[in-house]
Amino acid sequence: MPHLGFRLRVALFFVATIIAVQALTAGLGYEVARRELVRQGGAQLEANSNAFVAQMDDIATRVASSVQILSQDYGLRSAIGEQDHGTVLSILRNHGRRVGATRMQLVGLDGKVQADTAHAGAAAVPFARATLLQGAFDGRKAAVVAENGAVFWQVVVPIYAPQPAGLVVASVPIDDKLLSHMQELSTLPRDVEMMTRPAGKPWSVVAHGGGEARLPPGFFAGNDHFPDAPVLAQSGGREYLVLARSFPQAAGDPEVAAVLGYSLDEALRPYRSVWLTWAGLLVLGLVLGVLSSLLIARSVSRPVEALAAAARRIEAGDYRAPEGMRRNDEIGQLATSFQAMTVAIGQREERIREQALHDAVTGLPNRVASQAAIERPRATSEATLVMLGITRLPDIIKTVGHALGDRLMHDAGRRLSDLAGSRFVGRVSDTQFVLWLPDAGRTRATELASRLLDALGRPFVEGDFSIDMGPAIGIACAPGDGEDAATLLRHAEVAQFAAAGSARGLAFYDAATDPHRPDRLSLMGDLREAIDQGQLTLHYQPKLDLSSGRVMAAEALIRWQHPRRGLVPPDAFIGVAEETGNIGRLTRWVVNDALARARSWTEAGHPINIAVNLSARDLEDPDLTRRIGDLTAIHGVPTSILTLEVTESAVIADPARALQELRRLADLGFKIAVDDFGVGQSSFAYLRQMPIHELKIDKTFIRNLASDEGDRVVVRSIVDLSHRLGLRVTAEGAEDAAALDYLREVGCDCAQGYQIAAAMPALAFAERFLVDGPTA
Amino acid sequence: MRRAYQTLAGLVLGLAANAYGGTLVVHVDDGHGHPADSAVVTLESPGGDAAAATPAPATHTIDQRDETFIPYVEVMRPGEKVVFRNSDNTRHQVYSFSELKRFEYVLRPGTSSPPLTIDGSGIIAVGCNIHDEMITYLFVTSAPARVTGKDGNARFEGLASGSYQLRVWHPQLKPGDQGARLETVIAEGSSDTPLKAHLTLLPDPRASMDREHMGY
Repeated sequence: MPHLGFRLRVALFFVATIIAVQALTAGLGYEVARRELVRQGGAQLEANSNAFVAQMDDIATRVASSVQILSQDYGLRSAIGEQDHGTVLSILRNHGRRVGATRMQLVGLDGKVQADTAHAGAAAVPFARATLLQGAFDGRKAAVVAENGAVFWQVVVPIYAPQPAGLVVASVPIDDKLLSHMQELSTLPRDVEMMTRPAGKPWSVVAHGGGEARLPPGFFAGNDHFPDAPVLAQSGGREYLVLARSFPQAAGDPEVAAVLGYSLDEALRPYRSVWLTWAGLLVLGLVLGVLSSLLIARSVSRPVEALAAAARRIEAGDYRAPEGMRRNDEIGQLATSFQAMTVAIGQREERIREQALHDAVTGLPNRVASQAAIERPRATSEATLVMLGITRLPDIIKTVGHALGDRLMHDAGRRLSDLAGSRFVGRVSDTQFVLWLPDAGRTRATELASRLLDALGRPFVEGDFSIDMGPAIGIACAPGDGEDAATLLRHAEVAQFAAAGSARGLAFYDAATDPHRPDRLSLMGDLREAIDQGQLTLHYQPKLDLSSGRVMAAEALIRWQHPRRGLVPPDAFIGVAEETGNIGRLTRWVVNDALARARSWTEAGHPINIAVNLSARDLEDPDLTRRIGDLTAIHGVPTSILTLEVTESAVIADPARALQELRRLADLGFKIAVDDFGVGQSSFAYLRQMPIHELKIDKTFIRNLASDEGDRVVVRSIVDLSHRLGLRVTAEGAEDAAALDYLREVGCDCAQGYQIAAAMPALAFAERFLVDGPTA
Repeated sequence: MRRAYQTLAGLVLGLAANAYGGTLVVHVDDGHGHPADSAVVTLESPGGDAAAATPAPATHTIDQRDETFIPYVEVMRPGEKVVFRNSDNTRHQVYSFSELKRFEYVLRPGTSSPPLTIDGSGIIAVGCNIHDEMITYLFVTSAPARVTGKDGNARFEGLASGSYQLRVWHPQLKPGDQGARLETVIAEGSSDTPLKAHLTLLPDPRASMDREHMGY
């Protein structure tokens, strides 16, 4: 059975109310009828009992009269007068039959029984009930007596012959027959019983009237007093109104009473059929009510259950509209609303999902969706992820704003999608798209990438604007470059970054050149050990003073002899150290080691200026100046012996702070040099403010100095400019004699490079350059 | 002293006493204050004195009129005769089962029974077998006896002074009831103050009585 729904509850409530009211009415009616019956029954019973007593009295009178008449029979008189015992007995018997007496006795004036039809030959014994005889000549004498389990009327009639000659006692049985007869003649209740209580014994029934209903035997057993007014009594599950009446009795006789019962059940019988019909109607009504309630409930609960099931389906993400319910009631309306709601929710969720998985600008799947697409199982093991970066987007946005940037990206996405056809295209970052080729190898990817570069190479045109996008494509191939989406995306990005710096604008992922390999992080732990365990060493590259031809300075370059990896190039761990905050420690070690070296060389008579490289992060450390100053003091060397090299980019990141730090260092007497000058975003404005002593021209300008006229102009200009600014100039990467010659020719102060010497351990440096003077 | 006086008086006024004697009035009631008639007061002792004045044997007539024996009680002396006369125009069947005398006469209207001599003393109840309510009593005694009148009084006169025992009987005494016994002393010139006798009586069984409506 379904849970009780609202409508069922209402229906049941009404049914229950009606039934309760009906039951109450029925109960009330029953009670009223019953009370009335009890009242009427009581009155009737009382009247009946009076009638009964009167009838009994009449019986006694009738018997007495009959006996009286018989007593005047001359035959009897003469027989008594002549003391003819046999004749007396026969006359008594004869008379007894006439009056319906079962026993006739002749009692003499002396109180002795002279003749007894029950004991024909018995000797004269005193009559048992002397008191009955006493008033016999005064008036009628009759008593109800109990004898041998039977009850009799004993009527005493005197005999005159002509004076009192004796008494005739007639015993008329009050038996079942008599009672039944009385009931037939009058409206006596059906339940009439004669009861007697022999001395010392309980009451017992000796006669009862006819009729089926009978007061149960022993109904009054144990009762000492009978009610003389109607009372309610229960026996054998039946209810009676009962009443008892006593009769005139002889002294000393067992008590005799007539108990009259009025059966309430019988009296209620005519009403019972009415009540049964009533109850039947009630039950019928109840059944009908419950059935109809159930039907209603079912008709309500079924569609509700269907709706509930639909709701569960929706909860599980199934937005198919629930089965149509063609109903015109509230449920139908609910179902219709429900359908509409389901469709609306489905659309809304579709939109949310769309938004969650799609880029709002281009309408393409976003990074999450892209990852999901890449992770999707594919037929072939070989697959290619192409990442297209719009490298100029940050500049474009800064220049013309986001709105145009968005339109540009939308256009780029459209071009990409056009070429991609059915393949997956997504936007994975602000500047990057991906194209997933789950069935293409390296060759086909390359071919497609070329076409992409062509398509995106065309500038974005809007109004008067014509903007180059600067596309760069990185390609990562599964399974070689990774299998999971995250790895492939990262590797493709690395490749794309690499491509951005290349002329062709296209690069494949190369694990060897990946600066972001995860194994680099483990280097950091090793680096700390390396510092502690002396795995790090400084190599020195001489700086040749071109005017004197002597080596007056050297650049300290760090070398790491890893116990397992072997020689680790500085590029492999400097960047990581910077990113992980370990660069300060590394720098301190380098400075300390270089100062120690400078001191030993100075003490040996060779005050070689040593240059160390400072990272951009070093300049962010407010304690840098103090630490380096302290180290210089500890080693007891003049600050001027140390040159600190910084790149332009290190200064540009946070110019104000970097400049402040550099000034403090310069104030302490340290030499400041700008490294890799010419390749970065050089700004003479900064250069002018910086407390620098030296410029180091990047090796890209020096490498082809012998052949490239442009480089020569640049170098000559830089040297001129530097000198005019009062700076010394050092050329890096001097790899041939011609270059040296040219540098010397334009007045460059120092040169550094393989042509002079590669970096070498301190001992080798000392042996070669600090023994007998410099050689060039 | 008183006795000596009485004796003296008897001696002196013996004749006068015989002529006038003492008077004894006995008043009988029915126990309810009503005077009882038809009661028989017998002077039982001393009875010898009265013998001298014994009259000759008489014949008593019991009339039957209006279905009633008249009188109700008749005092007789032993040896006297009684005749039952039917003055009604209906037949009467006079009978008695008494021990003293048993008889039965069928008397047609206007006829009388032959004289019936009663020997011995006793009470003879006489009834009519046709009319149950008819009853009369023959009180046969040798002692002086009087029947009370309507006033319930029985009067003895000319009694010698002395102590007397009396018996009071009535036909309506209950069976077995012997009636009242009285004792008194008669003195010269004694007053008529009645001697009272109380009897308990049954209803009058005669014509006035209808047994069938007595509640039987």
